[in-house]
Amino acid sequence: MSMPPATPPEGAYTCPYCRMASEGGSRTCPHCGAPVDVRLKVTESGWIEQPPIRDMARIRFSRSTCQISGSYVPVAEMGLHDDDWVYFSHHSLLHTDPQVRLGTLPMKGGWKRMRAGMPLIMMRAQGPGHIAFSADHPGETLAVPLHAGQAVDVVEHRFLTATGSVAYDWHTANVWFTTKDGDDEEWHYPLGKTMDRFTATGGPGLLLLHGPGNTFIRDLAPHQQILVQPGGLIWKDPTVGMFLHFEYPRGAYWFSSARWQAKTVWLLLQGPGRVAVQSVFERPETTGTVRRDSGSSTRHW
Amino acid sequence: MDRIECQWCQAQNEMGRTNCLTCGAPLDTKDLVTDSGWAEAPRLRDMTEFRFSNSTCQIEGEIVPVAELALAPGDSVFFEHHVLLWKEPNVPMSALNTGGGMKRMLGGMPHILSVAHGPGRVAFSRDHAGEVVVLPLHPSMELDVREHAFLAGTHSLTYSFVRIKGLANVLHGGGGMYMDRFVTHNEPGLLLLHGYGNVFQKTLQPGEKIMVEPGGFLYKDSSVTMNAVQQNVKTGLLSRGMNLAEMTGPGRVGIQSMYVHHGSE
Repeated sequence: MSMPPATPPEGAYTCPYCRMASEGGSRTCPHCGAPVDVRLKVTESGWIEQPPIRDMARIRFSRSTCQISGSYVPVAEMGLHDDDWVYFSHHSLLHTDPQVRLGTLPMKGGWKRMRAGMPLIMMRAQGPGHIAFSADHPGETLAVPLHAGQAVDVVEHRFLTATGSVAYDWHTANVWFTTKDGDDEEWHYPLGKTMDRFTATGGPGLLLLHGPGNTFIRDLAPHQQILVQPGGLIWKDPTVGMFLHFEYPRGAYWFSSARWQAKTVWLLLQGPGRVAVQSVFERPETTGTVRRDSGSSTRHW
Repeated sequence: MDRIECQWCQAQNEMGRTNCLTCGAPLDTKDLVTDSGWAEAPRLRDMTEFRFSNSTCQIEGEIVPVAELALAPGDSVFFEHHVLLWKEPNVPMSALNTGGGMKRMLGGMPHILSVAHGPGRVAFSRDHAGEVVVLPLHPSMELDVREHAFLAGTHSLTYSFVRIKGLANVLHGGGGMYMDRFVTHNEPGLLLLHGYGNVFQKTLQPGEKIMVEPGGFLYKDSSVTMNAVQQNVKTGLLSRGMNLAEMTGPGRVGIQSMYVHHGSE
C-alpha cells in the first residue's frame, strides 16, 4: 500500500496482510479480520495467499463493527454506531434494521458511469443499527483497512462497501486496445473502462471488496514488473503502473493469418507498491489484429 | 439421562452424538449467530444422516448438495419433478395435483407434484450451488417458502400455495406471485429446502421488523407478515427507488446470501 504503517509499539502484532498493528490478543486481526493463528503462506515467487476471513470474525472501525458470516457467499454485517455511516451500491444490500437511515450519495460523471455500466448513485446508511451486504456471488470478502491519506485503486465491480471516512473517486483505467472488425474498429477494455479510487481522508477507514476465488497479494519493488491476467487484478496501490503487453506465440500454422492475430493479452504491473489478484478471471479477447492501444509492449516467441 | 438440545431444531439428542438425529445439524460445534441475531443455518457435514418417520435422509456433497432419502414402506415424499436426481427403479411414483391450474401456470409453478413412495431410495438436487436447509416441523405449524426453493416434503405435510397479497408485493416483493405453504397437523413433518449461497435465520419478536432484500427472502413462519416497502431513495437516473421486504414478527425468517435481484436495475 502506498503509505507505510505507523511504527507499532513493542510487542504488538503487525498483520502481514493489512500491515496494521494491533495487540494481537485475539484470533483475528481487528483491522482486516485475517486469522492471526495461521501460518503465513508465501509462494516462492513472493505471492502471499490471503486467508479467508473466518465465519463470524469481527472487524472494528471507528466505533462500529463489521462481522463476516457465511463461508460460501459471505455476508458482511455492519453494526453501525450513531456517528458512523457506510456507502454501497444498492445491489449489494441484503438486510437492514428499519431504524438505519438510508440515503443517497450522488456520483460525478453520470453519463460516463452509465456508459461504463457503473451505478449512477451510491446509497449511504447512517447508524445506529445493523445493515448487511452480500456480493451475491461465491468468493471471499476482502477487508482493506486504510490509514489516513492512504489510497487504493480497485477494479470496477469489486467494491462492496466503505466507511464514510473513505472518499470515493473514479478515473478512466486507460488500458485499452482496438482491433479491426471489417471496416469497423472494435474497442477492448480488458480492465473495464474505469477504476475506482478509495482514499481515507481525515482518519482511518475500512474498504470491503469481493474477490471471486482465492486472493493473492504481492509487493513490487521499484521498477519491478509482473505480468498478470487483466481480469485477475482486484486492487493495487496508486503508485503501481499499468501497461498492456501482447505476446504472440509461434504456432505451427505459420501460413495462417490467425497466427499473427492470436495473442495473449497481459496486464503489465510495475512497482513500487502492492497488488492483489484473484484466481477467478475472464480471459480477454485473443483474436483480431491490434491497431491502436493505450501504450503497450510486444513480444513474439 | 443427559440430553443435548439441537440449537437449530430444538430436538433432544443422546449425549455423545455429533449430529442431530432429526435435522443433521452438527452438535459438536458452537452456534454461529451474528451480533444482530441472524443464526447461520448449520452447514451439514458431507454424508450426514438423520431420520424422519421410519425413513432416513443423507446429505451428500457440499457445493451442490444432494439429499438422498431411503424411504421405508408407508413413507412418501413429494417434490417438483425436475429436482429428482436419481431413483431406484422399483420406487413407486404417483402424482399430487396441486389444483389452481391457471394460477400456477401464471405463477410459473408446476401443476403437478411428484410423489415417491417407499420402500426404496430417491435423491434430489436443485442443480445450483448452495446448501440444503433442513426444517423439521412440529405439529400445527405453517411455513411459507418462496417459489422454486422447495426440494422435498414428507407425506405428513399438507402442501398448498398462497397468493402474495397486494399488487406492490407481487411486483416489487421479489418472490413472484405465489408462495408455497407447508402445514403440519397432528404429526410432525420434514421439509427440505435449497438455499442459494449461505442461509441465515432470525426469530422476530411480536411487532419486531426487519427489512430484507426481496430476492434474499427464503422462508418464513406464516405468522410473519411481509410487505414490500419502497425506500425513499433514488437508485438510478430514472428509477424511482428501491423496494425492500418488511418482515414483521412474530416468527422465523430465513434468507439466502445469493439471490435474484428484482426491480431496481
